Amino acid sequence: MTVRLAADGTLSLLGLCGVEDAEVLQHHLLAAPESTVEWSGCQHLHTAILQVLLIAKPRLRGVPSNPFLRSHVEPLLARKPK
Amino acid sequence: MDELLQQFLIESRELVDQATDDLLALEKAPNDAERFDNAFRAFHTLKGGAGIVEFTAMADAMHGAEDVLTAARKASAPMSTQDISNCLMCLDQVVEWLDAIQSTGVVPVGASAAAVIARLARPTTGPPAGAPPADVTDVWVQGLMTAHRNAAAQAQTAIRYRPDSRSFFRQEDPLARIGALPGLLALDVGPRDSWPMLEELDPFSCNVVVTALLAISAGDALAALGSEAHHCDVATLRTHTGASMDHSLSKQAHEVLEAQLSLLAGIGERQAPSLIASAGTVAANVLRHIGKIADADRMAATAAHCVAAHDLAGLQQAIRAALGGAPPAPAAPPEPAQARRDEGGAQTLRVDAARIDALVRLTGELIVAKNAIGHSVRLAETEGAALAATLKSRHAALERLVGELQRSVVAMRVLPLRVALQRFPRLIREMSVDLEKPATLVLEGEDTEADKAIVEVLVEPLVHVLRNAMDHGVETAAVRAAAGKPGTATIRIRAFRAGEHVTLEVVDDGGGIDVSRVREVANERKVAPEETLASMSDAEVIDLIFAPGFSTATTVTELSGRGVGMDAVRTAVKRLGGHVTATSVAGQGTTVRFTLPFSVMMTRVMTVEAGGQQFGIPLDAVIETIRVPRSSVFRIGAAQAIVFRDKTIPLVRLSQALGAGSRDDSDDASPVVITKVDGDFGALQVDRIGERMEIMLEPLDGLLGGLPGIAGSTLLGDGSVLLVLDVAELLR
Repeated sequence: MTVRLAADGTLSLLGLCGVEDAEVLQHHLLAAPESTVEWSGCQHLHTAILQVLLIAKPRLRGVPSNPFLRSHVEPLLARKPK
Repeated sequence: MDELLQQFLIESRELVDQATDDLLALEKAPNDAERFDNAFRAFHTLKGGAGIVEFTAMADAMHGAEDVLTAARKASAPMSTQDISNCLMCLDQVVEWLDAIQSTGVVPVGASAAAVIARLARPTTGPPAGAPPADVTDVWVQGLMTAHRNAAAQAQTAIRYRPDSRSFFRQEDPLARIGALPGLLALDVGPRDSWPMLEELDPFSCNVVVTALLAISAGDALAALGSEAHHCDVATLRTHTGASMDHSLSKQAHEVLEAQLSLLAGIGERQAPSLIASAGTVAANVLRHIGKIADADRMAATAAHCVAAHDLAGLQQAIRAALGGAPPAPAAPPEPAQARRDEGGAQTLRVDAARIDALVRLTGELIVAKNAIGHSVRLAETEGAALAATLKSRHAALERLVGELQRSVVAMRVLPLRVALQRFPRLIREMSVDLEKPATLVLEGEDTEADKAIVEVLVEPLVHVLRNAMDHGVETAAVRAAAGKPGTATIRIRAFRAGEHVTLEVVDDGGGIDVSRVREVANERKVAPEETLASMSDAEVIDLIFAPGFSTATTVTELSGRGVGMDAVRTAVKRLGGHVTATSVAGQGTTVRFTLPFSVMMTRVMTVEAGGQQFGIPLDAVIETIRVPRSSVFRIGAAQAIVFRDKTIPLVRLSQALGAGSRDDSDDASPVVITKVDGDFGALQVDRIGERMEIMLEPLDGLLGGLPGIAGSTLLGDGSVLLVLDVAELLR
């Protein structure tokens, strides 16, 4: 499980987030649309997850250490703040 | 390497050569519809062949080329030079694959058509041929460059990647693929179709379009995209690359030119003009592509000249000159594929069947010569014992040699039946699915050998018989279960050699032939009179399925297709000198047995009509056919003659010569066949010229054996007998 729901309602994306996590993330975000997504621990983000994030546009927290995510993906998600 | 793959290699190489020729001809004469069709057919056949050997990458590549041709046909515009080069490039790739198959014996694993397809697809999305490459009018390219101004300054290439919706199921992660591209400058991700609401999103369906700016060349980008390249549009950007291009060749252009040089080096003495032409075309296109229009035109002119003059060195020099201004590249290593092809090129030799036939005839003559020596030996025995001994040993040696020659010559035409049979398991599989009747095909004795003509001609009749077995013989699983049979039907093709014959049986374990139904249908379709039918035994009734006009098939299926019945099967087999029979046991299945001669010699004849009868004249004796008015025929003693090409040649009225009654009253010009046998011309006057056909000549024997002027006979498709004339004897 790389999508984790903390007690305070924060969703964390951890490690390698694969295609199978997209549905889990989608359900969490549907159940709690106001959730914040903490993704600084994310090392790989599958296109399927990106799709969910681009549609749901949750608040993001943190900056991943992976250079590709930081320099190329982060701007995509940051451009459309909710 | 298995037989199928070998056949595929031979055929594909021929098709590649043919397509290359046609494409090059199209370049010169863009409106030549016949060449266009030929090229299209070649690509289509290549695709089909690739499908049969399950070489998906090649099938995809050929499909891409077909698309290019189809687009040209739809636009009813001549193919652009760019299109032709792309198709040629596609063929080069095929040759590379074929070489790989030849050296490894298997279809290349992991071969990808992506790069080829991307290039083929480019003209529709990218810049048109001849236009500057930096045609960045595409909205997506402009949008991308506006959004990423800083990155755009360094970018050489823009790509738009539209993965299909099922990408995720193929373990494809589009974002990761783009992320892994070298020289990634900027990235955008948007929806392919507009974004759905979150609750309506299918998280496993890919709906993104990824656009990116890259600091690498379009070619490198396509290579890096690998198997996904065919989902990508690629645009070369002018802004960065323009300046350096004026003075030096890009790495890619350099590589392509180098490749042409090594291609030319590989053909060596063979000096195939098509290869020279293709190398020249590619070189000119490279120069045109990088904006050196004048150089390109010069190159094209040089190439045309070199093709005409078979001047290999001239073109090599021109390409080297073009490379001259380029940055020194590491010396191109000799192309390993090229070397391999040169070594393995002569493994199979395709020989015109006519030449083999000529060899066979020659062998026959040798045998006659040998027999003549035998006769001399007997003569010499009475004359002198010493001479007899020498002649005898010579005769023995000659006999051995001739025997060997005959065996090896006949063996040249022999193929294992597998060549014909190996496609059938697949056919049965497909029919089994289509008809929803589970069935498997078992081949037995597929190594049995037979004459090439037989093996090749057998395919169609067998398809027919198998189709019949699946359509009418084999029952559905439910019916089989009710009859206590295994659910899956078994169709067996059993082949074996019996003396001078090859027997092939198609045995199914289906319901058998419904004899009463055959009687009914035969009666309905007037295949046989009712009273005759009533007196026929079951076996005789079963034989009626081969009668003309009898076909229980109510629908014309795609495989048998032409609406012909089992009578076509029998005719085809008869023409080969064989026969076909069927036996059946109700509830247990049907057996169709083909009995065929081991060896068949085909002769080409022209049919003529004389005295109300048809005759065949061996085509190799025919020079031409002309019409001669009666006034041009003159008499020399008791005989008649005409003048043909300033020569007086004897004229024989065929109907008279054969004693078949004459039609001397005709005043109009009648057709005359000019023949040449052993250097002597002759003219045969006939009533009508018929058609050309290929027949199996059977010598006359028994009572008809001594008939003068007749070389032999053959059975025509309609069951009538055609007598083939011995022209030399007739004119003697």
